[in-house]
Amino acid sequence: MEPRWAQTGRDGPDDDEGGQQRPPPSLFLQLPSNATLRFRGSVARAWGAALEEGEPPGAPQERDGEEAGEQESVPLKQLPLCMAEKRRLRLREQQAAWKRSRWEQWQVGTRRMWGQVGGTLLYAQVWRGSLHHIEGHFGTGIQSYFNFLRFLVLLNLGGALLTVGFVVAPNAAFEGLQLNQTQKGPNSTVISSCLQYDPTKRGLVSYFTYFMDLLSGTGFMELTHLFYGYYQNSAVHFVGFSYNIPLAYLLSVLGYFSVCLFWIVRRAVHLLKRSLVSENGALNTYSNKVFAGWDFCLGPGTAVHMKHNSLRYELRMDLEEQTLRRLMAQRSPGQRLGLYGLRGAVNLLVLALLGVAFYCVYLATEYSQRDQQNSGLGQQGLVVGLLVAYLPSIVITAANQLVPLVFGLLVRLERYPLSLEIRLTLLRTVFLRLSSLLVLLFSLWSQITCNGDPDADSCRTCRYDHKQHPCWETSVGREMYKLLVFDLLVVLLVLLLVEFPRKLLVTHGPALLARLWGQQEFLVPPNVLDLVYGQTVCWVGAAFSPLLPLLNTAKFVLLFYLKKLTLFSNCRPADRTFRASSSSFFFLLVLLLGLAIAWVPLLYSVFVLQPSQACGPFRGEPTMWSTLSAAIDTLPHVAREFLQFVGSLAFAVPLFLLLCILMFYLMALAHSYSRLVKELKGQLRLEGRDKVFLVTQITELS
Amino acid sequence: MGGSASQLPRDLLGEYQELTFLTKQEIVLAHKRFSELLSKEERESILQKRVPKSKILTLPELRANPFQDRICRVFSTSEDEDGSMSFEDFLDMLSVFSDSATSEIKSHYAFRIFDFDDDGTLDRKDLEKLVNCLTGEGDETRLSESEMDQLIENILEESDIDKDGTINLSEFQHVISRSPDFASSFKIVL
Repeated sequence: MEPRWAQTGRDGPDDDEGGQQRPPPSLFLQLPSNATLRFRGSVARAWGAALEEGEPPGAPQERDGEEAGEQESVPLKQLPLCMAEKRRLRLREQQAAWKRSRWEQWQVGTRRMWGQVGGTLLYAQVWRGSLHHIEGHFGTGIQSYFNFLRFLVLLNLGGALLTVGFVVAPNAAFEGLQLNQTQKGPNSTVISSCLQYDPTKRGLVSYFTYFMDLLSGTGFMELTHLFYGYYQNSAVHFVGFSYNIPLAYLLSVLGYFSVCLFWIVRRAVHLLKRSLVSENGALNTYSNKVFAGWDFCLGPGTAVHMKHNSLRYELRMDLEEQTLRRLMAQRSPGQRLGLYGLRGAVNLLVLALLGVAFYCVYLATEYSQRDQQNSGLGQQGLVVGLLVAYLPSIVITAANQLVPLVFGLLVRLERYPLSLEIRLTLLRTVFLRLSSLLVLLFSLWSQITCNGDPDADSCRTCRYDHKQHPCWETSVGREMYKLLVFDLLVVLLVLLLVEFPRKLLVTHGPALLARLWGQQEFLVPPNVLDLVYGQTVCWVGAAFSPLLPLLNTAKFVLLFYLKKLTLFSNCRPADRTFRASSSSFFFLLVLLLGLAIAWVPLLYSVFVLQPSQACGPFRGEPTMWSTLSAAIDTLPHVAREFLQFVGSLAFAVPLFLLLCILMFYLMALAHSYSRLVKELKGQLRLEGRDKVFLVTQITELS
Repeated sequence: MGGSASQLPRDLLGEYQELTFLTKQEIVLAHKRFSELLSKEERESILQKRVPKSKILTLPELRANPFQDRICRVFSTSEDEDGSMSFEDFLDMLSVFSDSATSEIKSHYAFRIFDFDDDGTLDRKDLEKLVNCLTGEGDETRLSESEMDQLIENILEESDIDKDGTINLSEFQHVISRSPDFASSFKIVL
């Protein structure tokens, strides 16, 4: 391919689509705006330069010199030069280095050191090799799922360290060392019936009861460190220091939630900076898909072929969508009214479907809880007993799998463009999953507090239903524990009973089946939503079960290896490329939504509900928060006043007003910036036309 | 790591670390992979040898890449323009494609790679060749004429700010700066 600069003398000016005559490119290439292109290459290969015969080859070098002078502050590695050029510049820099002051030398030295530290840290990331392997075979889209999973593992590990370190480990240590424990909490005005709590079984217990207890968190499991009910409301004295167990419990739970919030927000902001767009983001889709479309990490194999196919498919789909949108804008009002009516009907249907699913979850929870109390667990036989215990989990999982399929079918009736279809289905699925969890919690709440009525029969004595739930926190923790275990079981079962057989059937079975059903495709959005759901379950349960974050970490680690196994054995790359970046931010947003949902039961339990009197580190207290306020009362006067001021309305309302004002100011600023950008773009367009006009004139005159 | 003759001297390693975005481990790995492309006798003088393009393209990271020719062309400093690469060219290439390279240098070299006719701008023909590279080899994998025209119109609409019908380096870098997927896809790690 002969470079075009060699042809400039021969060709006449080209005509471009506007009908304007384009001047020969040679003059354009001498403009300063193109001068930055000449860095690469040694003397002879100055790329893109208008090296018409006769121009001395020394010219690029001179330019190098003057540009290099401006760029001394830029690190050498960021210059688009070849190695030989960079080396020359470095030599020149070193010669000037002895003139530099001590301060600058120290700066350079520290920068180099941080660079090396950063390099080794990057290498030490966990699972780096696996992620690289996945990226090479399936692309960055699927790798983003595993990246997200790794982030969740680290998040859970950090949180687990917090809860285990401040609650579980000290408790275990205190018991092991058999230290003195002083009971706290008022024990005068306590009704004895509220204190009845004995989860251990009496009499002859068959062996499978222990197995059932392990799986459903009842019986002997309630008396382990796993659940809230085990901890004491006491303070431990050792070495002149008093370790207040309930305070430690409360603060570690609140700290765990705050750390998670901070970590997720930090990561979301980091991702947002990368995907921030000044104006309308939709304006960039075609350039983004073409210029950043090819995954350079793909190695040889079927992945490349698949990537070509998926890029072609995507570009075709987008172009079709564009033509469709143009047609749709030309629809008549009658057609439009019909379409809106159809969409309204579909939305109502969706809501009805959601209502039915929620009602099923509510009924299942009621039945399961009542059944567990009424009949002893050992009397029904293993399978039936487990089924009843896991009934809420089963119903929720079934709803989570089946209802999105119906959503997928319904959304096609609404005739939205494809990208909007996908987003809408995703939003509805997110709503379904998180809301079903809320419904479960609501049905538990209505049982525990007798539908919020403190004067109902069973709630009058202890302000909560002490017959069904003598230790209600453990009940809630138990439900979350069951959801966690069941989730993992479902993944294992689906892997063994659906995915592997499917692969076997498709590869070794009749060709018709292979064509109809096809190999499994690793869809990222449903898998990520599964992760978010699992993490939300862990968060909701963390307040009532301190070991749950640790269990969740183990579950996610196991999930990583299982999903990797199924990816490489059973799956083919997806038909439609998954845009990693913009969706990563969306998934973090959904995770934040899950965290927000988890805050609600936590805050409600801490501030409003009365803790069980028969168990737990808050027995005898009116609310969980009262331990903290009691502890604050023991602080010195100044600290107490300060904290009380911070918690009062006199501080909160002005702060809120100030934040509102700040937000409005930033919005106005952003609006004015976008207007400025629009004006500057118009100006650039005019300048471009001026430039073409002037260069044409110059070439005509010369 | 082989005999001492096949290892890099320490000061050279330090120099490479300063002049590229690669870490020490990555430079050592690159050295190993590059020396595997040479025959046993040539390995002694690895720093002076040039590996022909055909051998470079046997690397698994480049073998399936539709832009393999352009990559070799852009990073090669060979006087014969045959796309052969020396070890330092190889390091330059890995540096630009590494994880820690800045977005500016990546977009600069992406522009060079996509500029098929080397004239300093991306015009319609360059964009057409680019799209054909993306959709795959072979006639049945190409987009139709009308689809291609529509696509190129859309791209120019989005990226060509001064409306001169071509995309120059600054316009390209502006578009790339707003593209969130670029940094993660423009990456080759050994």
